[in-house]
Amino acid sequence: MWKIFKNEWLYYRRTPWLLGISFGFVLVLFLSIAMGNYQTHKQALRHQAAKEDLRKKWESIDAMNPHSAAHYGTYVFKPTNLLSSLDEGVNSVTGNVLRVEGHVQNEIVHSEASQMQAVSRFGKLKSSLLLQYIVPILLIFLAFSSISNEKRNGRLKLLILQGAKPISLTFAKTLSIWFYGIGLLALTILAYSFFNLNDLNAEVFGRITFFFLSYSLYYFIITALTVFFATLWLNPTIALTSMLGIWIIWTIFLPNILMSSVEKWHELPSRNEFKAAMKEDRSKGLDGHNPSDERKKELEKKVLKEYGVDSLSQLPINFDGLVMQKDEEYGNKVWDKHFGALRKVFSEQKKSYQWGGFINPFISLQNASMGFAGNDNLHHQAFLLQVESYRRDFIKMLNDQHAYGGSKTGEWGWKADNEFFRSVPEFEYHPIALSTVFPRYGTDLLVLAIWSILVSGLIALGTRKMQIL
Amino acid sequence: MSALTVFFYEGKHFFNNPFKIIAITLFIIAGIYGLNNGSSLYNKQKTAIEKIQDKSETEKQKYLKRYEEGKLADENRPWIDMSRPFWAIWYTPTYHLKSPSPAMVYSIGQAEQYGFYKRITFWASPYDSDMAEEIANPERLQNGTLDFAFVLLFLSPLLLLILLYNIKSVEAELGFLPLIEVQTASKNGWLLARFSFYVVFSILAIIALMVYGAILNGVFQTAPIAFAQMLLYSLLYLTFWSVLYFFILKYGKSILGNTLKMVGLWLLFAFVVPAAVHQSISIYKPVILMTDFIEVRDKQQDLYANDSLFQQKLVDLFPEITNSPVYQDSTKIDLARNYSASALINELKKESIQPIEEESREKNRLIKYTYWFNPLTFFQNKLNSISRTHYQDYQTYRDEIQALIDKRTSVLVKELWSDTKVDKEKYLEYNEVLSKTN
Repeated sequence: MWKIFKNEWLYYRRTPWLLGISFGFVLVLFLSIAMGNYQTHKQALRHQAAKEDLRKKWESIDAMNPHSAAHYGTYVFKPTNLLSSLDEGVNSVTGNVLRVEGHVQNEIVHSEASQMQAVSRFGKLKSSLLLQYIVPILLIFLAFSSISNEKRNGRLKLLILQGAKPISLTFAKTLSIWFYGIGLLALTILAYSFFNLNDLNAEVFGRITFFFLSYSLYYFIITALTVFFATLWLNPTIALTSMLGIWIIWTIFLPNILMSSVEKWHELPSRNEFKAAMKEDRSKGLDGHNPSDERKKELEKKVLKEYGVDSLSQLPINFDGLVMQKDEEYGNKVWDKHFGALRKVFSEQKKSYQWGGFINPFISLQNASMGFAGNDNLHHQAFLLQVESYRRDFIKMLNDQHAYGGSKTGEWGWKADNEFFRSVPEFEYHPIALSTVFPRYGTDLLVLAIWSILVSGLIALGTRKMQIL
Repeated sequence: MSALTVFFYEGKHFFNNPFKIIAITLFIIAGIYGLNNGSSLYNKQKTAIEKIQDKSETEKQKYLKRYEEGKLADENRPWIDMSRPFWAIWYTPTYHLKSPSPAMVYSIGQAEQYGFYKRITFWASPYDSDMAEEIANPERLQNGTLDFAFVLLFLSPLLLLILLYNIKSVEAELGFLPLIEVQTASKNGWLLARFSFYVVFSILAIIALMVYGAILNGVFQTAPIAFAQMLLYSLLYLTFWSVLYFFILKYGKSILGNTLKMVGLWLLFAFVVPAAVHQSISIYKPVILMTDFIEVRDKQQDLYANDSLFQQKLVDLFPEITNSPVYQDSTKIDLARNYSASALINELKKESIQPIEEESREKNRLIKYTYWFNPLTFFQNKLNSISRTHYQDYQTYRDEIQALIDKRTSVLVKELWSDTKVDKEKYLEYNEVLSKTN
């Protein structure tokens, strides 16, 4: 087996078209990594500048009523991810700017895709595009020509007569082609690591490792399946057509169809319905009872009793701040209910889509790739949750200052000073750790592993049925 | 053997090849699925628009009733008085809608990246958060929807590839070519006749799918020109790929070599070139973070903090108010000034939008420059344009929204400073005037 493996690599080295294609491909690959890194870096600089500018403005608030400050609010920009240069995931279709203000949980807006006309249906020239779409095609042609050439030239018979076992022969060929794919993958990872040497840490290393593992498994599936068809069919044309057909169905057809179907199975509300339902709950109460006016009266009674006074004007604090915070807390329950339901639907959609990997391993690869790169919807939702958590703390600080900062009820002209505004912390994004989200990608890795075992069995079956003599 | 005989004989080849039949069947299924997706989005948007129109009408009737009953002041909120222009216009429900074209059945384009209904208020802007796309799974948006344009742009070259890849190369590999040369007058004519069979077959499949789409959405009745344009560009696109593939087959000698070249070209034009262009544009013009738009927030604060600046800006924008009765009345001027703030803020927003839109225009210009070597993007945008789902269609929609906001704030200021009393007729007039862009 080792001899056949070595012999295959010798053949690759002596095949000019393969060397040419490999050289060209590696060049494009390096170019994609370099461009991806440069773009990520440039975007990060723009992001940093915008963030600093906003903070400067916030810290320069001389004096302002805390409730006015809650309306003045701030903005959070979605940060770029270091692994975006490998796989950008959903970043170009999700928004980039999120307004943080009182009374409302806003949605992230101004996506890159909405800022210009359509360019590329499959995203930018990132490594993932080449690794997901181009490398498998290369492997299909290599695997096909490797077996069919041996059959056509009669070398297969010769090798068997010389004592080579058919199963060793097909597995050695599969492995040698697979190693070619692994080589391209390893070059990508090495080039990426070289460009980002200073930012490599255990987290990034862990993510890259699983990114590498997912692609390796997928390349094995593609290679082994092509070898299976090439061994099974007498007519090499049929073998190539079958595999190209499968590639088209897996890569172009099914992801689109399955994702659209999943969205129909687990339906999302329209924006209009979503907003109307939240507005309804916000004004009438979550259960249709307890409208906002009643909630305010209850709070007033409670606070007056707590402070032992008869009227709001006797309170040593500003009741308006308490009302604002109480209303905010109620609003949070409403947001949690509706945005929570939305996240639940997203999660169900993801789960259903992941199961699609059993009929199409490309789906598992795509999921794992953007997941391990930290750029799938799961990571996006985690970012949104962190911003919302920050918004709640931010608004609470302002409302508390309004209530307990020294003003009395009804003093809307009262202003908090600059020191207070400077004390309000800035939003810091903490990317979720791989260890936290890893179980979510277990299905994808499992599916890829099952497919790998299945195709190994298919090679054995195809070899047994292969007509040699 | 005449070219026509070869052409029809190829039909027998085709019907005896299960793989080619499977390929065309899958192509047609994908086409039907794509057309249904387009039609479904069209119907969904139409339904949403109808609901909004109903909601708007109900709201209008509610306020009209108040005028009829003379209940113009709100008991719980005494500051609200609908006999005053500010509150009357405030309660004039105006929605601007982007009605989908029936040709959306062919190309969903960028329809899922933008909102298609917008409530026009004093404080609205075409870049408000409600102008963002409908709620959708970003992973699905990233994958894109399988529509007819996708089938045409990405799958039709693949269909042609599967139908054509072994023409001539099989005969070359088996050594039959000299025999064919003897049997036919011209080898090129023989190749062209066989080749034409599949191209004509593909064209017929595309036309059949387009007719199906037209029936689904009533395109023949409502947008016949769009159908003709769509057909023209579809044929041009198929011709583009047919020419490329013909030369590969003419000069190629092996099945593997030809297939590799055809797949390579497809990968190049469908994936690599558009992706490289996209990447380059993102480097040259990174994502816009709307910082100019955000700055309005601070400029607004500055404006509110400086009364004389506020007054000056208002007079600069509406010089006619200096001759109005309210301008001379010290008891009314403060309220009118406060209520006019939205007109000034609208101007600030418009100023801030200009550099953002210029940057987007620059990005679009750059994309257009690449059309000569990036045919897929060219055709994609052409199809989007025909189905009115192109970026520019949404830009026009945003411009119309801005025009409506301008009109609303301008009417507000004029009516405020003229101290107009609003009655039922005036309210109806507001409803009429404020919903028209011209």
